[in-house]
Amino acid sequence: MSMTDGPTPMQTAAAEQAAEDREASSKAAGRSDLRERGKRKPGYFSDRWHALSRQQQWAFLVIVVVLAYLLPLINPPIITTEPGNNFALACFDMARFALIAVGLNVVVGYAGLLDLGYVAFFAVGSYVAAMLTSPDSPYLHIPYLWTLPLAMAVTMFFGVMLGVPTLRLRGDYLAIVTLGFGEIIRILATIIPAMKGQVGFQNVGHPPGTEADGTPIFSNSNGVPWYWLTLTIIIIVTLLVGNLERSRVGRAWIAIREDEDAAEIMGVPTFKYKVWAFAIGAAIGGLSGALFAGQVGFVNNQKFDVTTSILFLAAVVLGGAGNKVGAILGGALVSYIPLRFTAIAEYKYLIFGIALVLIMIFRSQGLLPARQRLLAYGRTALNKVTNRAAMEPKDTDKPPAGTDSRAAGERGAEA
Amino acid sequence: MTLLELKGVSVHYGRIQALRDMSFTVNEGEVVALIGANGAGKTTTMRTISGLLNCSEGTITFAGQDITKMKAHIRVVHGISQAPEGRGIFPGMTVMENLDMGTFGRKDRSGVAKDLERVFDLFPRLKEREKQFGGTMSGGEQQMLAIGRALMSNPKLLLLDEPSMGLAPQFIRQIFKIIKEINNQGTTVLMVEQNANQALAGAHRAFVLETGEITHSGTGKELLEDPAVKEAYLGVG
Repeated sequence: MSMTDGPTPMQTAAAEQAAEDREASSKAAGRSDLRERGKRKPGYFSDRWHALSRQQQWAFLVIVVVLAYLLPLINPPIITTEPGNNFALACFDMARFALIAVGLNVVVGYAGLLDLGYVAFFAVGSYVAAMLTSPDSPYLHIPYLWTLPLAMAVTMFFGVMLGVPTLRLRGDYLAIVTLGFGEIIRILATIIPAMKGQVGFQNVGHPPGTEADGTPIFSNSNGVPWYWLTLTIIIIVTLLVGNLERSRVGRAWIAIREDEDAAEIMGVPTFKYKVWAFAIGAAIGGLSGALFAGQVGFVNNQKFDVTTSILFLAAVVLGGAGNKVGAILGGALVSYIPLRFTAIAEYKYLIFGIALVLIMIFRSQGLLPARQRLLAYGRTALNKVTNRAAMEPKDTDKPPAGTDSRAAGERGAEA
Repeated sequence: MTLLELKGVSVHYGRIQALRDMSFTVNEGEVVALIGANGAGKTTTMRTISGLLNCSEGTITFAGQDITKMKAHIRVVHGISQAPEGRGIFPGMTVMENLDMGTFGRKDRSGVAKDLERVFDLFPRLKEREKQFGGTMSGGEQQMLAIGRALMSNPKLLLLDEPSMGLAPQFIRQIFKIIKEINNQGTTVLMVEQNANQALAGAHRAFVLETGEITHSGTGKELLEDPAVKEAYLGVG
């Protein structure tokens, strides 16, 4: 066991490495296959996407966003949900689900916390908007737009209140507790007189502005402005969440999702970051709830059942847990399918179920599987190391060290 | 100089007592091994030192500071780093991202490059596999990654929980050689092992754990020759 086995530690390691290589080469066939699969894990779309240049990515994004904004105006023939459902309102509903999925994705996708009561945050957001703007409510009335940040703050508070006692639990236990929390909020809405149970609140506020003929721009029957407002919020929220994902916070969340104990002994304050994930996820859910309350104009206790919670979760899993773009797609799809097939009412949930099963069979990781590009301090450090290695004489047959390291640097920057 | 001291430490899982009144020390610069059969409390000891488990009695002192009540993620900053049992790597992260996680608690970004170089020197295999996902690597490579990741926090004390578990004999020799090398570079090592032969040969001092208590202690050599230890753990006698 002494170091006299080799002249220097470096060479000892190298010699052992060679022995290990020989051993490995005998079973190389099977293992290289595994490695190949490992490399392909990020998924076809993700690979294609990251192969594009920065400009191409931006150009593509701009086109997608413009098309998304124009969607209710174009009202494409086969895609449209009419005559069963107004397409602009359907677009709003898809956007609402997409926003919820982005929020739930922070909790389930990034931090890996199974939350079956997410509808509770959605409900809290809805009630905040309703109780502060509806004429049915005896409380202080504020302009509708102010209820959006307020709903976020209140739901964030609820998220922390729920998170602090429950986030010491893990996995299935956490799921059950959140399920209970979802029910508690719904039942509170029924039994607390001030929340008016099934009677609910009518004429919930909406953003200001009227058409030439005096009707409000943000009316209940016109989905287009609501859709545009929600889409804009989705874009902002997605950018913010994307920044979080690439930050130290994101790294901590992913580590917690992968292995909580290991994250803790790497120096991640796991409890703190789990509460943060809960709070941020809750705030986005609340925001979506407030938008929903405003568009529908009516809030009562009937819309916040467990099924809705499960649908939210299905949206995230369907899109690809951990991928924010996937969550948007999944949310839109979960909302879209039943709306599209309303015409054959008895079968719409059957079609919905079949679609879910098919997607899960053929894309078990979701439509867009997650592949986080984590902020890596080590990568810059690594570039220094590879740079030095490239300087060594044995590498003379390779291109000059300068280009090598620059290429590595670019790769690092892209990621 | 004493780096780590456990004094009268007891740990309970609910009503079941896993460690009884355990006391031992680890001095700076040593390799210390804890050996024992399944269920003796080896991993419990490790998790108690790294802070994943709380002790119900006793105190833990590290570098002169009482860390009994300190949270696990803060102990890392103070210089205790663990390569957990069963490796505990992040399967969905690449090798590089895994190593990066090891630096999470670090304040000094400047030291990262130096430690990365050290890890790649110790484990050239990790450098080759830099972009590969942790979960797709072989058991031995994962073990290398777990040890490398623990070293990325530049610890004073490295805790290794069964570094040889599930590895081929050739790989086990290599891992122990590397542990020796890590120790020669100035890191104190405390390891838990079932492979008593290799562990005792490589350790300065060792303790034998039985049902949550230390029953034998001595230098690695002494224990290798102790008839009782031989019979129980080395399969001879």
